Amino acid sequence: MAIDEEERLTRASARFWKWGRQNPKSEPEGASTDYLISMPRKVVTVYIPLLIFLFVLLFPFYWMTITTLKSNEELYDYENYSPFWVAKPTLDNIYKLFFETSYPLWLWNTMLVSVVATFLSLVCAVCAAYAIERLRFKGARLTGMAIFLAYLVPPSILFIPLALIVFNYGLFDTPFALILTYPTFLIPFCTWLLMGYFRSIPYELEECALIDGASRFQILVKILLPLSIPGLISAGIFAFTLSWNEFIYALTFISSSENKTVPVGVITELVEGDVYHWGSLMAGALMGSLPVAILYSFFVEHYVSSMTGAVKE
Amino acid sequence: MSFTRRRFLQTSSAVAAGAAGSQLLGVRRPFAQDTMSFEPEPGAELRLLRWSKFVQGDEDMWIANTKKFTEQTGVPVRIDNESWEDVRPKAAVAANVGSGPDVILGWFDDPHQYPDKLVPLTDLAEYLGNKYGGWYDAAQKYGMRDGEWIGLPLGASGARMVYRQKWVQDAGYEEFPTDYQEVLDIAKKLKANGHPMGMALGHGVGDANGWTHTILWGFGGKMVDEDNNVVLNSQETVDALEYVKELYQSFIPGTLSWLDPNNNKVYLAGDIGATNNGISVWYAAKNSEDPAMQAIAEDTYHAEMPVGPVGKPTELHLFTQAMVFKYSKYPNAAKEYLRFMWEKEQYEPWQLAATGYISHPLADYANNAVWTEIPKSTPYRDCVKNMLWNGYSGDLSYASAAAMADYIIVDMFAQAAAGERSPKEAAEYAARRAERYYRV
Repeated sequence: MAIDEEERLTRASARFWKWGRQNPKSEPEGASTDYLISMPRKVVTVYIPLLIFLFVLLFPFYWMTITTLKSNEELYDYENYSPFWVAKPTLDNIYKLFFETSYPLWLWNTMLVSVVATFLSLVCAVCAAYAIERLRFKGARLTGMAIFLAYLVPPSILFIPLALIVFNYGLFDTPFALILTYPTFLIPFCTWLLMGYFRSIPYELEECALIDGASRFQILVKILLPLSIPGLISAGIFAFTLSWNEFIYALTFISSSENKTVPVGVITELVEGDVYHWGSLMAGALMGSLPVAILYSFFVEHYVSSMTGAVKE
Repeated sequence: MSFTRRRFLQTSSAVAAGAAGSQLLGVRRPFAQDTMSFEPEPGAELRLLRWSKFVQGDEDMWIANTKKFTEQTGVPVRIDNESWEDVRPKAAVAANVGSGPDVILGWFDDPHQYPDKLVPLTDLAEYLGNKYGGWYDAAQKYGMRDGEWIGLPLGASGARMVYRQKWVQDAGYEEFPTDYQEVLDIAKKLKANGHPMGMALGHGVGDANGWTHTILWGFGGKMVDEDNNVVLNSQETVDALEYVKELYQSFIPGTLSWLDPNNNKVYLAGDIGATNNGISVWYAAKNSEDPAMQAIAEDTYHAEMPVGPVGKPTELHLFTQAMVFKYSKYPNAAKEYLRFMWEKEQYEPWQLAATGYISHPLADYANNAVWTEIPKSTPYRDCVKNMLWNGYSGDLSYASAAAMADYIIVDMFAQAAAGERSPKEAAEYAARRAERYYRV
């Protein structure tokens, strides 16, 4: 490659990163992909990192899947069976999980708690983020910072005082114990995320609506929220995932087997002392991760657009 | 002695008052001298939180005994299970917030973390002790505080050397040795024959704490003295570390990261010739439908933990005991439930059904049929009898619990074995860590 051409490509790359993907139409000609034109370079800079990334992300799922489908005989015999492949697939582990434990009930509990807690948190977070970003009351910045700091307090510190509240309100061992405590970490997170998103929406849109006589509530519902759907989806997915995987509150506030969530339930029923039923445990983990994966797949475009900033001035 | 009408009235009044007082206190002795019972409160119902089953027979028989209790007393008992490592945080929360299950089967020194939240069980413990040959020393240490029983020991999920007999015989021993130097020798031979030993050096609550404490105490080392002064940095500790450093050379690779389940899996995979564990490995293999597993069960035997230079057993096992919380509205019903479950008629069948997974804290239960009818259980019989307590030889306290939760002893051995620190440095570092807790 000639030195001139290399310099041109380097400059084009620099311009590309400077302009960023937020202004695709303004990119200088040839700035977006020209620097990748050589196939060996493309392999090194794109495909190999992508493959490594995919391997790291997908291998746990692969491992869960093959362990789910293995019999104990195969699971413990490394000499005659490859640990990376299933020779004699079996559904025994899935059968045990669904028909010999309360797994379907735990799945339902987890879904109920996650959906309701996420919805409640989003409602509160929208109001909080809007107030902090748009109403600009005295101390709004400080409040925003305080909410962010609240997110940093680990649940392992909060669970004892929260347990006291849960017991005093008579919520112990009910789904409400989780539905009402999960927002303690979901609301700060969603608020913080939505504050950033609301900031990217032009304030002029609201000023126009104000001139046309819209109330604050109407602005929120009819202008801001429709424009914030990618942000809401993004916050919702995060909140849902955090609720779905939560362990310490679910362990502490729930006692009855019929009220447990998946992360706590599988440990209780599928670990007997120091004997772990790996096949069924992995089946539980795999089945438990499917709803979240499906949710992601439905909203992946909105999710990505919210991460990259969707609203243009 | 003449018995006047006036004296009869005094005596009978005293007896009646005593009986009434007993009723008020909830204590009555209606059947025989050696039988005590507590009158459950009207409308009593109980909630028990226990660790989830280690072996299926344990849970089945516990439930059957509980059902029998309900039939006899009319007191319904709800049993909630939690993974064994998760019971401790739940018990701590219950104690701190003042609400939760009436009875919890906790671990180790749990009652000593919140003694003022617990119903004293002295009358019940003394009754059981008198009736069944007395409590073993470790049980008394774990159950008592300031002369009062605050927990009712159920026993210990004991650990023994679990080994493949054929491979041990191939190494020139008839059975697994119980002398430290012979253990070192057989470990080398097992490794040379392709069947190395493996014992957890990761953060395994039961396995790793169990064998490392045994070795430390076996050489005469200990974390604190009787006055709770940290004395871990001693020549005895260094000797123990030197020993484990040499032993580790014959281990299968990977033991530094092993948690409680790892040795089970590796043993059942046929990759190691010996490890330390509860009876669960053999139980799991025996109950498997896989012929290969059954062959492993057939060839699996158990041996008592080795005895070190101090010349007496120095073991640590997963100790479990019942706690009745003061917030319970039905303390008498709870005590009656515990009494019922600890009586021979219930305890021995339960221990048998659990194939001896839990070793008894009361001396008379050493005669239980489980120790003769199931020969492979026999080595587990004296686990509580032979054990010391975490934080030996100091008191059970916040510091002893925190030091074990922080894996100070396990980490010390792991560092010395892996060569991360010399034995002397590892002992110094561990002593500094321990002092942080014992200063409080």
